[in-house]
Amino acid sequence: MKKLALAVALAFAAGGALAQEKTIKIAGFGAKSGVVRSFGINSEAAMLAAADVINKQGGVKLADGSKAKIAVEFYDDRCNAEEGISVIRRIAGTDAVVAIGPTCSNVAEPLFGILQKKVADSGDSGLQFPVFTDVAIKVGLARISEWAFRNVPNEMTMYSSVFYWLHQKHPGLKTVYGGVEDDFAHSRASWHVVMKDRAQANGFAVAGESKWLLNDTNFATQVREMKKANADIVAIAAHPFTTCGVLKEMQRQGVKPKILVGLTSSSSLETLQGCAKQAQGMIIPTSFAPVSKEGKYAAEQTAKFKGNADLHSMAAWENMFILKQVMESEKITGKDVQGDRRKIREGLAKLKVTKGLLGDTKRTDDREADKPYLFVQAKGNDWVVLHNPL
Amino acid sequence: MLDLLQAVMDGVLFGATYALIGIGFTLVFGVMHKINMAYAAASIGGAYGGLLILKVMAAPAWVVFLCAFAAGGVLGYAVYVTCFHFIPLSSPLATLMSTVGMLLLIDEIIVHVTAGMPQNYPALFDDVMWRAGEFSLRGDLLLVFGVSVLCMIGLLALLYRTKLGLATRAVSQQAVAAQLCGIRVGRVNAMTFVIAGLLGGIAGALIGASVGMLSPLLTTPLTVKGLIVTVIGGLGSIPGAIIAGLLVGGFENVLQLYRGVAERDLYVMLLLFVFLVFRPGGLFTPRGARD
Repeated sequence: MKKLALAVALAFAAGGALAQEKTIKIAGFGAKSGVVRSFGINSEAAMLAAADVINKQGGVKLADGSKAKIAVEFYDDRCNAEEGISVIRRIAGTDAVVAIGPTCSNVAEPLFGILQKKVADSGDSGLQFPVFTDVAIKVGLARISEWAFRNVPNEMTMYSSVFYWLHQKHPGLKTVYGGVEDDFAHSRASWHVVMKDRAQANGFAVAGESKWLLNDTNFATQVREMKKANADIVAIAAHPFTTCGVLKEMQRQGVKPKILVGLTSSSSLETLQGCAKQAQGMIIPTSFAPVSKEGKYAAEQTAKFKGNADLHSMAAWENMFILKQVMESEKITGKDVQGDRRKIREGLAKLKVTKGLLGDTKRTDDREADKPYLFVQAKGNDWVVLHNPL
Repeated sequence: MLDLLQAVMDGVLFGATYALIGIGFTLVFGVMHKINMAYAAASIGGAYGGLLILKVMAAPAWVVFLCAFAAGGVLGYAVYVTCFHFIPLSSPLATLMSTVGMLLLIDEIIVHVTAGMPQNYPALFDDVMWRAGEFSLRGDLLLVFGVSVLCMIGLLALLYRTKLGLATRAVSQQAVAAQLCGIRVGRVNAMTFVIAGLLGGIAGALIGASVGMLSPLLTTPLTVKGLIVTVIGGLGSIPGAIIAGLLVGGFENVLQLYRGVAERDLYVMLLLFVFLVFRPGGLFTPRGARD
């Protein structure tokens, strides 16, 4: 009888403790359906893995000194602007204090547009909710709203460095030819705004460019144009499906540039799964490779949640730890949701340097990141580190 | 001039893949007077089905193609059962919408199983390139072209030389009369879907082989191209689907050469409107039609 009473008492005590356990909700959102589903899966896995690690270490310290566990809830925006806007409105209606996402730049751009532009502007009825982007990479998006922050690599810096390095290492190379997936916001901007400009700035002449669409299946004409240009370097600003299609057509037509440069988002498993043979030697700048102890650990933890570690998912991992640091330094209460959101925004805005898996990341005044990066190269079925420019 | 000739030939050969999809659309329409919007998605689904064999054993490309052929037939029957068998055929919108739903379902299943990642697809003759100076022809696309022609011959032989073909034509012309003659209309319709599915499986595999990989990105453009080809060729006409497929492929590539990717699809759509306005029956309007 005594034993039974003790068990009941313990059960009540445990129940009481569980009931008292505080949680801070962080929302994630991105593409979990459609052709970019893998991005959402990987980001979600990285967020869950990071939350698991943080929670095992005790969780987040709140203003009153108590600890709260982090709960992650991930929403699917289907890489669609309307869905993305609907999702962020839904998240803002919950008790989530911050959101990490989205996957696609075509979602991020209009979504940042519905956030309040200037924090102090009482006449602006835009959404007052902090968004800390991990994947959408199109240049300069965070300046749309003071509630938008990004931890994505700076393509301008990375490709400037790539072309500078190529110029130094291969002074005999003179020309660059571009291939661009012209109907995808990120790819388009990467070639027209970033790669083309950076190649010219580093002494290369642009010999021409070929365009195709995300859904295209026949690249014969574009590759013939490429062949005629006979450029030393071919730079492809496209996602894995069409990158592979073009690389296969290049192989058929015998187009063998001396150097092949790819889009940063293509330094993933998808490219190697689709066309490892044809992608051999391709050079891509990336903000993640599992080279450090921390990077390897993050990759292992993410794998436990069935995700792959790449530059995008590892940004989500980093964001979780940055947010933990901000929540603690800004002393969020865990009670006043809107107040905590504002504190997190202020905390993110104050950051000058954050810890990343490749080293320290500088924060810029326009709420973007200046992340460390490496050049990786496709070798066999892996991306191997080719050069560390930093 | 050589550029133009090359663009036409590249386009015409690639158009063979549109033709293969067009044949499936037109076959179902010819028999049931219904559009199966899920056809291209089921064809790509069949091609993905072919890849399953590689999970079990290392297999040559032709074995993968055979598996795709079989998987296409199974999917064709599944589409018939879910989208046509239990849905009143008298309501044209009901079957149209059910096949649109099936298209999205197949697409999403593929996305969920593969996480949207492109899958490398084995190819036949992909390393064969016939060259004459600067002019070249892809061996794998010549294979697709050959298979399209063989499919057309095979289907015409099936329709005009077998009892099943006779029954199919009877059902396509007058279903009630065919039923009164003892033909099991439901069975004929189901067989039409299985045959179209088998063809779709091989079409999906050949498309995967010619592109070099499979992706859910393929289903929507192939559905659109398949429909355009079916309308231009003449709804229900198998030779029409083949000729229209090659025509659209060639036309598209020439426009790609001269007007660029931004305008290319615009002109293809314009071509469709020209046909709808000036020749709504397409290039080959079939003689027989259901009352």
